[in-house]
Amino acid sequence: MAASARTMSKRHRRGWAIVGEQELRDLWLGGRGLLLALAFSVLVSVIAYLTATNQALNFLEQRESVNLTLQVAIAMGSLLALLAAADAVSGERERSTLESLLLTPVSRLDLTGGKLVAALSLWLAAFVITIPYVWFLGRGIDLVADAVITGVVVGTLLAVFLASLGIVISIFANSNRVSLSVSLFLLLAIFAPTQLPSSAQKGWAGELLLRVNPLTAGEHYAGKILVNGHSWSEDISWLISPIVAAAVFSAIAAIVGARCIRLGRGATE
Amino acid sequence: MTPAVEADGLGKQYGSRVALDSLTFSVAAGEVLGVLGPNGAGKTTAIRVLTTILPASRGRFSVAGVPHTRAADIRRLVGVLPESAGYPARQTGEEYLRYFARLFGYSRASARVLAEALLAQVGLSERRTSLIAGYSRGMRQRLGIARALVNDPQVVFLDEPTLGLDPAGQRQVLALVRRITAERGATVLLSTHLLAEVEQVCSRVLILNRGRLAAEGTVSEISRRAAAPRSARLRVSAENVDRARATLGGSAGIEHVEPGDGQVGSLIVMLDGPGSPTSMNDGLRALADADVPVLSFELEGARLSDAFLAMTEEA
Repeated sequence: MAASARTMSKRHRRGWAIVGEQELRDLWLGGRGLLLALAFSVLVSVIAYLTATNQALNFLEQRESVNLTLQVAIAMGSLLALLAAADAVSGERERSTLESLLLTPVSRLDLTGGKLVAALSLWLAAFVITIPYVWFLGRGIDLVADAVITGVVVGTLLAVFLASLGIVISIFANSNRVSLSVSLFLLLAIFAPTQLPSSAQKGWAGELLLRVNPLTAGEHYAGKILVNGHSWSEDISWLISPIVAAAVFSAIAAIVGARCIRLGRGATE
Repeated sequence: MTPAVEADGLGKQYGSRVALDSLTFSVAAGEVLGVLGPNGAGKTTAIRVLTTILPASRGRFSVAGVPHTRAADIRRLVGVLPESAGYPARQTGEEYLRYFARLFGYSRASARVLAEALLAQVGLSERRTSLIAGYSRGMRQRLGIARALVNDPQVVFLDEPTLGLDPAGQRQVLALVRRITAERGATVLLSTHLLAEVEQVCSRVLILNRGRLAAEGTVSEISRRAAAPRSARLRVSAENVDRARATLGGSAGIEHVEPGDGQVGSLIVMLDGPGSPTSMNDGLRALADADVPVLSFELEGARLSDAFLAMTEEA
């Protein structure tokens, strides 16, 4: 029976693609992804409404409305990717499903890759939801294309950075609660500089703080293009931090994933 | 012939705590080996080391002839039902098996065929499209066994497969274990602390205690080695009690006979010194000659449970 069924795939797909496909099914068909996307769309609707009414009252310029909405979408979309990633390994461990996965011939690197793909899908969905709002707020000023491209570039870099960070935390956390708490705490720490008074963001120390933090640097870059009308290359140095963070943390996630995914505590008798 | 599993001086340590200590044993191909031991004896650790989930601290082992240094190759050849395995509640049984088949390299189409065949084998065909969340514990264990068979393994490790199951569920799982060896010719390592299971399905037994090997052999060898029978319990019909007592009282090797507690017609026969499995033969022969029908008979101290208790308490 098994021998007859044992027709291996001629084009044997990479393990990460199989894991990713299943994770996407669980996330989206299981309903969790749809629920998060719904919550995200409600939030973006509220933000778009507020910015649109402020724009009508001349408190905000149209460009600023687009920029503000896009920045909220990038931040919240990345947060969703972080939350999904923070559940990736610790969630399997907590649900006692990790051991069965580790017993398959799929490498731990492939497991990490598949889970990262699923987490990033939340960012992608969030961004797709944002596009109509950006189009509505930016209509008539020829800004939509710039906003979409800026959003894709900055948002994807930040989502890769935060999702990788979430996976690393998840690999070492023994419970989902710890993983999610640590992830949210770090996210708040990364967000904190965006709330500094503008006086604290001036001078070389202020600029250094903004440039080093991938989130503030990315949002600053988007703001320069969308609000100030700068060219893509004019402030490209502000993208160094998001690029480095995405590259370094995805590499760390790959290394840690390949070497450190273990059953964790409770793996003994 | 290469043993299906061979361990030599296997050790596992967590900090200063020794979970496995110099475990040496081998299992022949097609054998069903029972791994017995009280809680914390090291059964699960042994299985996790042998299935490459945990690295060994000392020693070496091979599974299906593959040395422990080739962990990925071993994982292709083994099927494992982990202790208290979890299942994704929102997947159906069929989706779950298809996913694991694909992880083992099956194409989409052949994974579907395999999943259907395995679900039929474990009696879950009718529930194949139901969410696992709706499965009973017994159904989940059978699904777990089906998953362990996805790669047509040479060696199957089952860690406490009947834990928490009702008697009907236990019977179904044990019947499956027997089918795995009979139909697939796979070697099975069955970890349990339920002695009845081992007596029913295992050809050989390994008793672990505090990470050490306390005994190894067939069920009858271990029973004999650990506890020589000192008494026997038999039951005759109520009207034959006095005749049976008189007949047995005069037989060689029997010290005295006393009424047993509980059932009517129950008798306890005290043997004259440490006995052997044949100690009661003369007495039984005498009862047969005296036309006293024996309704039930069991040597006390010759069961695996007695051996298990003796060995784990000794150590």
